[in-house]
This record gives sequence, C-alpha cells and structure tokens, in this order.
Amino acid sequence: MSHTVTPAISPVERTTVQHTAARRGRLLIVAASILLFAVLVLQILEAGGVTALGLVSWRSLLFAYIFWAVALCASQVMIRGEAGQRAVFVLPAILFTVAMVVFPTVFGLYIAFTDWNLSAAAGRRFNGLDNLRALFADVYFWNALLNMVYYVLSVLVQYAIAFGLALLLNTEIKARKFFRVAFLLPLMLSPVAVSWMIGKSLMEYRFGPAATLARHLGWDNPAFFSTPWLARTAIMAMDAWVSIPFMMILLLAGLQALPSEIKEAAKVDGASGWQSFKEITFPLMLPVSMTAIILRIIFQLKLADIVINVTAGGPGGATDTVSSFIFREYRDRSNVGYGTMLAEFYLVIIIIFVALILKGASRWMQREN
Amino acid sequence: MKVSDFERMMAIGLSRRAILKTSASLGAVAATSGMLGLPGTAFAQDASLRSQILQVPGVGKGSPTDADWQKVGGMCLEATKKSVKQGEFAGVQLSFMGLNNQNLHNVLFRGFLKPWEDYTGARITWIDLAQADYSPRLQQAIATGTVDFDLLEMGAPFEGDVCGKGLASEMPDWVKAQIDMDDYVDYLKAPVGTWDGKTYRVSVDGDCHNFNYRTDYFTDAGLAKAWKDEGHQGEWGVPKTWQKVQEVTKFLKGKTVGGMEAVGYLDAPKAWGGFGFYFLGSRATAYAKHPNDKAWLFDTDTMKPRINNPAWVRAIQDIIDALPSEAGDQLNADPGTTAFQQFLAGTGSMVSWWGDVGASARTSDSSVVGETIGFDILPGSDDVYNTKTGKWEKLASGPNHAPNMAYLGWGVYVMARVDRDEKKKRAAWSAAAHLGGKDLALWTAAYPSGFQCYRKSQFNIKEWVSAGYDEAFISGYLASQSNSYNHPNAAIEPRIPGIFQYYSVAEDELAKVFAGRATAQAGADAIAAAWEKITDQLGRDKQLALYKASLGA
Repeated sequence: MSHTVTPAISPVERTTVQHTAARRGRLLIVAASILLFAVLVLQILEAGGVTALGLVSWRSLLFAYIFWAVALCASQVMIRGEAGQRAVFVLPAILFTVAMVVFPTVFGLYIAFTDWNLSAAAGRRFNGLDNLRALFADVYFWNALLNMVYYVLSVLVQYAIAFGLALLLNTEIKARKFFRVAFLLPLMLSPVAVSWMIGKSLMEYRFGPAATLARHLGWDNPAFFSTPWLARTAIMAMDAWVSIPFMMILLLAGLQALPSEIKEAAKVDGASGWQSFKEITFPLMLPVSMTAIILRIIFQLKLADIVINVTAGGPGGATDTVSSFIFREYRDRSNVGYGTMLAEFYLVIIIIFVALILKGASRWMQREN
Repeated sequence: MKVSDFERMMAIGLSRRAILKTSASLGAVAATSGMLGLPGTAFAQDASLRSQILQVPGVGKGSPTDADWQKVGGMCLEATKKSVKQGEFAGVQLSFMGLNNQNLHNVLFRGFLKPWEDYTGARITWIDLAQADYSPRLQQAIATGTVDFDLLEMGAPFEGDVCGKGLASEMPDWVKAQIDMDDYVDYLKAPVGTWDGKTYRVSVDGDCHNFNYRTDYFTDAGLAKAWKDEGHQGEWGVPKTWQKVQEVTKFLKGKTVGGMEAVGYLDAPKAWGGFGFYFLGSRATAYAKHPNDKAWLFDTDTMKPRINNPAWVRAIQDIIDALPSEAGDQLNADPGTTAFQQFLAGTGSMVSWWGDVGASARTSDSSVVGETIGFDILPGSDDVYNTKTGKWEKLASGPNHAPNMAYLGWGVYVMARVDRDEKKKRAAWSAAAHLGGKDLALWTAAYPSGFQCYRKSQFNIKEWVSAGYDEAFISGYLASQSNSYNHPNAAIEPRIPGIFQYYSVAEDELAKVFAGRATAQAGADAIAAAWEKITDQLGRDKQLALYKASLGA
C-alpha cells in the first residue's frame, strides 16, 4: 500500500495564482479585442479605398474573429475559473450563431435598404424605404403570399392523411415493419429528385405513366400543370408525398407512447372505435399533433424547390411561392437589394405568424385540458 | 486513289474527266511533295483531317461519347503543337467555368481538352453550371470581385459586364493567328468579341434562331386536300410568314399525320431563366425590325422600350391565339421542352430554335424525326411596323424577314487574373485556342455539342456529305444558318449589361399573359414599365451609350 502526498497549496498562494490567471485572461481578451477592432478598421479603410494594403477579401477579419472567439473562451476560463469552464460549453455555439445567423440577418437588413443590382454601374447605394415601398406595390409578391396561404392550408390535409397512416401502422397489421419503412422512403428523397421523378417524368404530358393512365381513364388532356388550380394541386400533392412521412413518423411515435390502459378501459366500457378515437386518442395526441403541424407549416413556408423545377411558378404565377419569387428576383435579375428586402420582410411575417400559431395553440390546449 | 480523295476533288469542283486526265501529274506531285514540303501537303493533310474527324463516330452511328470527344480533341492538336512545346505548361492549374446543358458544352470541352492537358502538362478543374444558373453565378462573381475561374464560356451579350469592367485578358496575336479569325462569319467579327478596340473572344459558336419544320407534314396528301377543302388560300406547304404559321397551326388542330395527332407550331411560354424571351423575339422580329432601322428592342435616342409597340403586342397576341391549337400542356413548355422533348421526339411540326435541333436530328439517340426535318430562315411577315411613322407597311420587296441573331454565339474568354503569370496566361490562351480551332469547329457543328456554325469554312456542303449527311438535308440546314447570318435585316441582339434581367422580368409578365391573367397590351405595358425601371437602376446614360455602340450607331 502506497500513499501519494500532494503538496498543499495555501489559500493565499491559490488566490495569488487565480489573480495572476485572471489578469492574464483580461489581458488576452483586451489584446484580442484590439486586434479584432484594428483589423476591422483596416478592412473598412481598404474597402473605402483609403489604404492599399492588399486586403483583397474580408478573410483577415474572419481570422481575427476566430482568434478573438478562442481568446474569449480561454479568458473566461482564466478569469472565472470553474464558472468560466461551464460558460465555454455554451460560448462556441453562441459565437457560431452570432457569426452565421445574427450577423447575416443584421447585415441583410442593411442590404435591404440599398439599391444594389449586380449589373449596375453605380454599385450599391442606400435608398431608404424605396425597396419597402416597391414591395408593397409588388403584385408578384402578394400573389406568391396568397399562394402560400393555400399551401399552408394544405398542411391540414397532409396531417389528416398522416394521422390515418400512423393509426394504420400502429395497429397489428401484417408486414407492419415493411410498411413503416416503405412509407418513410419519400422522406429520404430530395424534393429536387421528386420534382424530376414525379413532376417531369411520371406526370409528363406525352409519355408519363400518370398521364397515360389518366388517358385510359377517359381524361383526354391530362396536362397537370396548365391550369392554375390543377397545377397548384399537383404541386401540393408532390409536396405532400415528400412531407406526409415526416408527420406520420411524429404521430406514430406519439401513438406508441399513449398508455394502452385508457383505451382498454374505454373498450370495456363499450366505446366504439370512433368514440375511442374521438374522445381518447385524438385529445391525447393534441400536443404531438400541434408540434407536427407547426413544424410542417414552418417547412411549408420555405417551399421552393419543387415549384422552381416543375412549373417555374406558372402558369401565370399560380404556383409561385414567396421563396421561389425571391430566388428569381435575386438569381435571374441580380437584384440583391430588393431581393434581400423581400427575404427580410418574409422573415418578419413568418416570425409573427408562427408566434401567433404557437400562442393560439397554447391557449387552445389549455382550454382543452 | 482513295474514295475520300476522289470525293474531296469533286468537292473542290474537278470533274471526273479532269481528275482522270491529271491523275498522272497528281501522282508525280504527290510523290515529290513530301520531300519538297509543298503547301499542297498541308492542305491535303488538313482536308484529310477534316474528313477523318467527321467519321468520329459517324453520322447515324449514335451519340458521340467521351472517347469520341477525346479522340477528336487529340486529332485536332496539331495547331497547339506548333505553338507549345510538350510539357511546357507542367504544373499550371486552370479553372474553367461553363455550362453543362443537355450534357454538352463543358462535358465535351473536358474530352476535347484531355489530349491538350496530356500534351502540355497543364491541368484543368471544371465549374459546370445549368443554363438557368449561369447568369447569376457570373453576375455574382463580377459584382463581388470573386472571379474564381481562368477560362469562361460566355455569350457575347455579357461582354458589357465582363470586358467592359476589365475582367478579361486581351487576346495575344499568336492566338489570333492560330484560330484564323478571318474565317469567322461576318456578323461575328468585330465589334462582337471586342471592347474598346481590344479583342477578347475566341468564338466557338454562332447563333441565330432558324425555322425547323417537318417535311412529312407539308407533303402529306391528306392535309393538302383538307387545306383546299377548308378554303385556305394558296397551296399546302411550308409557311413562309408568321401569318401562315398561325393559319397552319390552327388548321392542324384535330387532324392526324401518320396516325398521330397533328400539332402545328410549338411556342415556349414557360420561363427559362430569361432565355425564353428569345422565342418571343423570334416571332416578333419580322414585325418589329424594319429594314430602315437597326433598333428593334429599344429606341436608340432614349432607351425607351419598344416591347409595347404594336409589333411586339401582335407577336404576343399570336402566341395567345396559337396556344389553344398547340399541344395540350404547351403552357408548361419551356424552350428545352419544345426542342428536345417535343419536336425531336415527334410532337409538333414547326419550331424556332438554335442550330442544335438540326445537329441533333440525325446524330442524337433521342431524335425520332431525323429523316423528316427541313430548315429555313425564320418566317417573315406580310407587313412590318415602322416606329418612325407609327404605321404598318407592306414592303415592295415582299414579306419582311428579320432573322433573330439570338445570343450571338458562345465564346471562350480568358480572365484578366491570369495576366500576372505569363506561363498561366499562355496556357489559358492555348486551351481557348484549341477549343476555338478551325477543324474542331467542323466537328462541333456536325454533332451534338450545343454549338452551331460560326466559320465560313463550315459551310462546305461536300464535307458534310462525305461525313454521311444527306445532301438535301444538310444543304437546307446550312442555308438556314448562312442566310440568317448574312441577312441584311438581321436582328442583332444588343450587348448591354444586365440584358438577361430585362428578359427575365419579361418572362414573368408573359407567363401571366399566356395564362390569361392579362391582355397582350397590358402585359407588354407592364414589361415596358419594368424595363424602364431596370434601365434607370443600371444607369440610363451608360446603357444607352452601350446600346448605341452595340448597334454600330
């Protein structure tokens, strides 16, 4: 048996070490901050044509930010000891979010108030509220927003189908595991692949199997994308095919978590299948249902890929979405300032809309309970 | 005497008797020319090479593959070998940005340049873009100063954006000599490819929309009888004017040809990243391009759009009127659909497109109509709108034709960023010159490549016939292009910055018009208003100056 003797550090010595580390920590973060600020100023001067140091891109500022972030984390540990170590668990995520989400959003806000067309001889110019005024007068934007209302409403249909499938897969049917995997397959496909496989191949007017079948069934002109409502419905169907499995898997998980005793008690009391669903399963599934619907709505508000690939927003804007319109404005017309205003404004709408839904759902569920 | 040699002699105009009479002396010349190094040897080699490359893989032998592209690239490497030593560019890395439409363009360039890479030692990395992604990617690179490519496949309409901003490298004299620029068709010579008097472009393509039609439709006895029975004027035949195209399209509705549903003209109403506007343009030029006026899109004094004048509105109205008689889902057809999924696949009897349709008709596996295609320049119009008088005029010379020189062809441009490294600059220009070589041009025009004729030397019909093309077919195909290129009233596209922004916004408005949500006039007025805004945003004075320059005004 052996003993290891650790030399004891007196409280005074410990305090001295801590003070020294804290002082070094403060020095480190101050030095890193000065460096970051200095590089920022140099970059601004370079961009403004005041200096010519050869800083051809803003990459040096990125490196300075990374160095500053590392210094900040290290200084937290050095200054605050154990509390600083706990902070370091969260700090990298915060700094990353600031760099990748907060900064672009704020910078985007600045861009949104500029007249910036990539082909313009004058480059970027601040133009006040002109972009906002143009947005309010833009019939294409409001048309796309109206289409989004239809697309969002289609989520309720998707929910009903997904619930039905989840109930089916929750029962003791044959080949249940196979069907679970099979129903999940569309979710694993890229919407772009779905656009081509279904929208441009299966539903192709001349040779597509869906069009051929429709002709056999007596539809002379199976053009799925030539009239507004038919095209919109076809887009919704393709989107639903990809998205229903996502809702279904959430609902199935919820169903499997339900206590079986309640349903069994209801059965003993003589409740029919419909009564059992209406009075027990559906109410108990409300929290999961709301989560699934809200998540799907958030995804739905970003719908673009299928529309861009299959209809390009047509016929006559009938299938256009806000995202596909922004894509066109930015990509085809290089209209960065106005395109960014559209994106920022739509972000505000989404935030307000989702906040209202969450608030409404919360109140409704409280009332139900 | 080889059969190919005989055909070549016939091609240059020698009669059979003359060939036989001079065979002895020719034999003597052939025997001595190797020692003397006579120019005739080089000519014979060139002619032989052109004949040989056209046999790769051979017309009617399926679509060419990567092995064929590499083989052709290797066979056309002699010009490079004269200016570059083997391994001279070892260690040089070049980046090439271009398209991959229909698996063509860059996909072929890779094959063509593989032997060049092996010989010179340079290596190329590729940035492939879909048609619709091309313009925004290029614009972003220009505006943000992030040009990350050394070679660029680009159309002349973008020269204002690229060459005007000093982003391109000026062509060295040795490249001009290697690619023989005098051989270019006239409309692709300066000012196209130049900016402020400097040359930047190695052409690899010439562009115009021609008129492709199905010969079986227009020789069908049943249709001819029905045409007369219904009281139409004139004989049943290929329409020469847009008025007739409209009449034929409506006439064919509900009829059959060879047991299949007959369809007339194929319009492309669906947006195509701005490129769809060219197809309205092809319908409009005969109405809007007056022989006494170079302008047809904008007024040359004010840059005021002409898109809402009676000529353009008439073209838009023509499409609205024709759509119900076209294929059932025509409203969802973009130009790619009309050419490759409809016309070449057997649907429709008339389509305006670039030369790709003719080049693919007999050499692409996906074409089923190769034996029944004919070609012409775009239809004309019985009358033409004169913007100066504000009236429609009937010309004494007959219908007004104004072939649409849509896009002015693709070229290869070297970016200015290579200028600071002489070795890299030479390598980049050598690669561009290889792609723009005279012999390679013959092959790219004869097979699916995304490119059509752009050199005078490509219009030698005998060469095409010796490659396996039917003489009548290829004569019509080449005539439709050369007659367009050389037409005195050709509608030349303006090379102004942001031209695709104008087209893109027009596509959005036109989609509404074709879907019945706006009248032709209201849609055209909306396009005009949007174009005015774009012009103001981009800088009216600068746009106007460049527009005038592009028209040679």
